[in-house]
Amino acid sequence: MIQVENLRKEFKKTIKEPGLKGSFKSLFKPKTERVVAVDDISFEVPKGEILGFIGPNGAGKSTVIKMLTGILTPTSGRCTINGKNPTVNRKSYVKEIGVVFGQRTQLWWDLPLRETYGVLKEIYEVDEKSYRERMAFLNETLDLESFISSPVRTLSLGQRMRADIAASLLHSPKVLFLDEPTIGLDVVVKDNIRRAIEQINRQEQTTVILTTHDLADIELLADRIVMIDKGKNVFDGSVGELKTRYGQMRELNFVTDSTDPESALSYREHFSLDSEDVSVKREGSSVKVRFNSEAVAVSDILAYTLATVRVNDISVKDADIEEIIRRLYKQGVD
Amino acid sequence: MKRAFRIYFPFINAGMQETATYRVNWIFYILGSVLGCFVSYFIWHAVFLSGEGETMNGFTLPQMIVYIFLIFLTSTMIGSDAAWAVGEEVRDGSIAMRLIKPVSYNATFLFQELGNKLLTEMFLVVPLIAGLEIVRTILVGSLQFSVVNLLIYLCSCVLAYLINFFFNICFGFIAFVIKYLWGANMMKNCIVGFLSGAIIPLSFLPETLGRIFMILPFASLNYTPVMIYMGVYQGAELLYFLGLQVFWALFFWGLSKLLWVISVKRLSVQGG
Repeated sequence: MIQVENLRKEFKKTIKEPGLKGSFKSLFKPKTERVVAVDDISFEVPKGEILGFIGPNGAGKSTVIKMLTGILTPTSGRCTINGKNPTVNRKSYVKEIGVVFGQRTQLWWDLPLRETYGVLKEIYEVDEKSYRERMAFLNETLDLESFISSPVRTLSLGQRMRADIAASLLHSPKVLFLDEPTIGLDVVVKDNIRRAIEQINRQEQTTVILTTHDLADIELLADRIVMIDKGKNVFDGSVGELKTRYGQMRELNFVTDSTDPESALSYREHFSLDSEDVSVKREGSSVKVRFNSEAVAVSDILAYTLATVRVNDISVKDADIEEIIRRLYKQGVD
Repeated sequence: MKRAFRIYFPFINAGMQETATYRVNWIFYILGSVLGCFVSYFIWHAVFLSGEGETMNGFTLPQMIVYIFLIFLTSTMIGSDAAWAVGEEVRDGSIAMRLIKPVSYNATFLFQELGNKLLTEMFLVVPLIAGLEIVRTILVGSLQFSVVNLLIYLCSCVLAYLINFFFNICFGFIAFVIKYLWGANMMKNCIVGFLSGAIIPLSFLPETLGRIFMILPFASLNYTPVMIYMGVYQGAELLYFLGLQVFWALFFWGLSKLLWVISVKRLSVQGG
């Protein structure tokens, strides 16, 4: 469905020295620098898959999406979607895709929402019958009815985002690109949007590429993750794979009435662990132990803890995707 | 053709609704243009009063008055904000949203702007032409109005608008290189205003200079339609100038297509 091979994008950037003096200097003799925004990225997405595309701010996610949607021309490399090259035959290509940029709107700012859909219907040549069915469906999943007669400029962010997503789905696209579709939204609207994406993906086998900073989006929706950093591909696999590969750190939580559990429990000496593999934190009576489940088995650490101190309540937390990604963003991947 | 109409008609519609949304802005725009026109009238009136004879460079005072008001009407009819609109979209990156739609970039601008203009022109053309003819009849002493000239004038205005629109689109593409167009746009408006006869009639210029200006595309914008309405161009001369307009319209249409292909490759969407 989607093939991306060695995609690369360079930009020319003018560098301004700081201050007024720098401004004058760059006015007459601008210094430019080549910036590599996307550096040799390759991946494939089969039909009907939801791909979560993640990476820290400035990693190049949006640039990749813009190349895939035919807005930007790659410096080198190739992307093929539905057998088409986005930049070569833009008009026929974009007919088969839907795009939402969370930070911009494709709706007519001054027109009532309903009129925008009318315009889109003509642009995408949707016939009357499918249009009516489609609107009914979108209305139901995204709950547009209450604001469909208001001009777009008066909509709240949550309403606008739902309206934008509906606009991108009106022509039943084969591929849907969502660039931060849940940015700045409240929990209820986020849920609403996730459900709509899931439903469309399930019912119509729509391939979805999704970038987001909300990892709940990824956990709930994505079949697979591609992570990029500084323009390079650093991880490609399922959420489960990400967890097994980077998520050996587990968390043991318990509540104890013993006065000094830290001195009673010495995980490091008992299991002869490195300091990176285990850390203990205490807040009042509750204790939090983070440990590497590859260096020491969960059952061993549980047995040792229960045998050493009196425990009231105990739980082991699974690797948290947010924790993994936080670590990856911070350190980068080797 | 029918398909193209179905696709682009909504843009005309959207353009009209946009204009109608900001009614007060629209009224001020019309009032402002009319005021500017009167300022220019009083200046030329003073110039004529201080002059020696009845005519100035072949223009009598009534002709000059007609010229001023017609230039004003023509300028609003053929005016195009396309350069600015393209420039703004490049600057704030919203050009991306236009690119993800299966429509021609230039055509959406054209039809949206036509929609914007239709509403304004409907309220300007009829009263202005009527007022102008009444004043002219009083000044000259007999009715000068010619329906044929008016119709050819309107056709010529359509051609002039197309030239202006595609010229502006070409100019707007400079924004792909320099990113922000405000300064360049100001300069362009000044130069085009002078070269198109909107500031002074081209026949007031020294003969060689005037002749060069007449061939340039800018005379086709304002000067040619006005001369047609005033009945200065007749017969073969009329056909020549209409032909010249068609030539420039096609030229800039072709150029805009070419520049689009070149500049879209340079696009770097600004801001997220």
